[in-house]
Amino acid sequence: MIARLIAALREWTGRAAATAGRRRDDADLERELRAHLELAAEEAERRGQPPARALRTAALDAGGVAQAMEALRDQRGLPWVDDLARDLRYGCRMLARSPGFTAISVISLAIGIGANCAAFSFADTLLLRPLPVPRPSELLVAGQVNPFEDSLESSYRDFLDIRDRSRSFEALAAYTKSTAGFAASVDAPAKLTIGLLVTGNFFHAVGVQPQLGRDFRPDEDHVPGRDAVVILGHEFWTQQLGADPAILGRAIRLNGAAFTVVGVAPAGFTGVDQFTRFQFYAPLMMWPRFAPDAGTRLFEARDDRRLTITGRLAAAVTMAQAQSELTTIGADLERAHPETNRNGRLLVRTELQNRIAQAPPVATLVAMLAALALGVLFVACANVAGLIASRAPMRAREMAMRLAIGAGRGRLVRQLVTESLLVAMAGCALGLAVGAAAIALFSQIQIPVDLPITTVFALDRRALVFSIVVAIASAVLVGLAPAVRAARTDLTAAMKATDAAGHGGRRQWGRRVLVGGQVAVAVVLLVMATFVYRGFARELRSGPGFATDHLLMLSVAPKQLRYSEAQTQQFFERLAVSARQTPGIVSAALTRYMPMDGVPPSTAIVPEGFEFPPGQDSALHASSIVDEDYFATLGVPILQGRAFRAADAAAAPPVAIVNEALANRYWSGRTAVGQRFRIDGPRGPWVEIVGVARTTKYTFALENPKPFVYFPFRQRPADSMFLLARTSGDPASLAATCRELVRALDVNLPIANVRTMDELYRMRSVVVLDVITATIGSMGVMGLTLAIVGLYGLVAYAVSRRTKEIGIRIAIGAGRWRVLRMVLGQGLLMVAAGLAAGLLASLGVGPLLSSIFSSRMKGDARADASAFALVAAAVLAAAAIAAYIPARRAARVNPTEALRAE
Amino acid sequence: MPNRDKARAKADVLQGTLDLMVLQTLAALGSQHGYAIAARLEQVSSGALRLNMGTLYPALMRLEQRGLIRGDWGVTDTSRKARFYAITAAGRRELRSEKAEWQRMTAIMQALLQDEA
Repeated sequence: MIARLIAALREWTGRAAATAGRRRDDADLERELRAHLELAAEEAERRGQPPARALRTAALDAGGVAQAMEALRDQRGLPWVDDLARDLRYGCRMLARSPGFTAISVISLAIGIGANCAAFSFADTLLLRPLPVPRPSELLVAGQVNPFEDSLESSYRDFLDIRDRSRSFEALAAYTKSTAGFAASVDAPAKLTIGLLVTGNFFHAVGVQPQLGRDFRPDEDHVPGRDAVVILGHEFWTQQLGADPAILGRAIRLNGAAFTVVGVAPAGFTGVDQFTRFQFYAPLMMWPRFAPDAGTRLFEARDDRRLTITGRLAAAVTMAQAQSELTTIGADLERAHPETNRNGRLLVRTELQNRIAQAPPVATLVAMLAALALGVLFVACANVAGLIASRAPMRAREMAMRLAIGAGRGRLVRQLVTESLLVAMAGCALGLAVGAAAIALFSQIQIPVDLPITTVFALDRRALVFSIVVAIASAVLVGLAPAVRAARTDLTAAMKATDAAGHGGRRQWGRRVLVGGQVAVAVVLLVMATFVYRGFARELRSGPGFATDHLLMLSVAPKQLRYSEAQTQQFFERLAVSARQTPGIVSAALTRYMPMDGVPPSTAIVPEGFEFPPGQDSALHASSIVDEDYFATLGVPILQGRAFRAADAAAAPPVAIVNEALANRYWSGRTAVGQRFRIDGPRGPWVEIVGVARTTKYTFALENPKPFVYFPFRQRPADSMFLLARTSGDPASLAATCRELVRALDVNLPIANVRTMDELYRMRSVVVLDVITATIGSMGVMGLTLAIVGLYGLVAYAVSRRTKEIGIRIAIGAGRWRVLRMVLGQGLLMVAAGLAAGLLASLGVGPLLSSIFSSRMKGDARADASAFALVAAAVLAAAAIAAYIPARRAARVNPTEALRAE
Repeated sequence: MPNRDKARAKADVLQGTLDLMVLQTLAALGSQHGYAIAARLEQVSSGALRLNMGTLYPALMRLEQRGLIRGDWGVTDTSRKARFYAITAAGRRELRSEKAEWQRMTAIMQALLQDEA
């Protein structure tokens, strides 16, 4: 048995070696066969046959040399590999013989695959990428809906009740993000880091084990402020601590306090957030160390909802069951604590649902892109299918010919599949390049922060595999058509048949609709691109409403070093004063929120005399806390009333400045200055409006006018502040000077966000808009290219099938111009239909764009009409060229040749 | 294509026995060229077994690939160039075991067929 196995193995290694080159060549084999025949003839002669007949008898007896050679070749190498090599060579030759067909097919597929790779990689990065935990799709998020961000959140007290009363979950953990100043030792300067404060069962609940050291112990999650232990993120451990395993048991400093390292999270686990790569995990009970002023309020107040609850379903529990249990618990909590839990409906979502709910515009954008990309892939495949189909009659004759001279049907099918695969693979390779280019484009979007928050755009493997499978499958299926036809048809009939045989009329009709549809889609995309480009350009030209030049910023949060509220306030004041005295700085200001830097904090306000709808008693509005020099430094004009003054201090009556959008919302047609509103809810203190500032852009260049309220820094303390400096020269050159200003006050304080306003604005707005414009624009161009390719293929196909008819027409006197017009007309009819449909659909583009981006994206009617005209002209011109090339060929048909050809 | 299929079926049946016949011939007569092997088999079978080149030479190549025989160019008695095949040590071992197997099998068949009769 084993001997036979070894023998078989040797045979196949021998065959493989022969395939690879070490083989008896054909001449040697043939020599042996000829020798056989000669020996046989010699023998026959000896028996008395005449020499002339002897050789023939021998050949008849022993069989032909050719057949024996074929059998020997099969035995010699690996026939499959040999055939494949032959098919590949032949396929390449066939494709090279029709370069137009090949190029168009490859480019079509490349566009389809590239667009899919790009769209799904985009979706993956912004929305869909699973968290780095085991079975990420099972991870759930629960809590009360925050109506403003649509996120699910919970207070610590509510979390305890939910955890203890629910039976639907395997384990429920809670966490909150916190930044902290990190120092490896007491005397090292602090760096800003971000980590998660988690309940003791967090790692167990998400299903991750520390790679080094241990998980938190249950008793480390009981007493506020007692157990200063920390588990480090793997990346942080590697980068900041040199991956030193001896760090276990040693202390690092977070916000100036010593924390003992008990573990290191596994590599690849970056926490439970899509973008943030958390650097440390500490027990939630250590919260007081991270928010010194807040004390232990987090653990007592039911309305301090800063926790996210996460977990997984218990075995055999459905989402619906978990939801109904949470609904009951929520209702009970509402009854038991009406003052804090009113309208406190509890929800459970999968982690992905939660992400989508929190970012509806991203979800819309991603869905739109994905649908477009799928459409593009479909059209690309249809195009290639159409092209291959248009060659089918020609190929069918070739196939019939090869069958007639003795080729096996299996070999023919293999040959055709090989050709299709060649096209598909070239398309895939080029498509990858397209996808990579798109990703390079997307990668320009980066969130400018010092913290490890990243948007890593990478080629999405699943999308890639999907596109390649679709491309190959469609190419192979369509490529098989001529082989199937050849295998079915009667050889003689197939060889005699002319191309004009009437089959396929319905498919032609289908292809016409397809081409028309492609034109329509391309038109919509191009109109969209034009609108977007025009709208963005207008928005960017009009600017953000504040100055972006000669401005330098940095941010500090003294609470990270456990400053008291008074110390913090004093620190900021001294920082601003020292900045104003620095040569090169014209003016300096403090602000809690820097425009274009993330989401502004919000404040609940109750305007005096304003009737809220039932069930609502206040409105949350974006807000900032600024000092008296802010408006002048940033170049935001005060339209009515006055700016803040140093006199607006703690002892003075509380004042505020609102922007025009907020003034118009509540005091439309009246002067807002002098009006009052309550802050922090219906029983909060009254604040008087002393000024109205111009509405600027706050978070994004395309946002709708956003109501905004400013409070004076001396009346409303803040934990962290930006220092904003207007410089006389290049602002970047003063970065080091400004860092020194902070160091002079406290060497240990982490400094963050050192950048110029120009840079921030460019990264947050200009680049993003450019990328969106480029994306939609290139999709439009791709769509148009595909439509034109489809049109060309269809018209060329029609012409090739009608060569004879055209020949007859010319022969009986139709002028060439007339033939040209006939062919062109038929092609352009489809384009005209598609164009009309596309323009009609484009009427919806304006409203769609304003719903996604900003109401200001809508152009006026005249501008719309000019965009429509521009796109229509471009499409018509391109289509005319695509149809003209085959039409000219038709017009040049030589009647005698055309009639003789078949 | 029925002819082709029949030819293939016949070749398949033959393959196992043909290997044995070739090995036995080479073991009995020493180094031989392809024609001599074919002639010998034809002679032994009284003309019943007439091997096609397309059957014989792939079989020889297969045996050579398996290391059971080794082929080298040489010269015949009549001074013609021909490729001579000799059985190898591995070939002898294979022959021994195949022969035993064949004999066991024919004994069984014999018994079975006689029983039937």
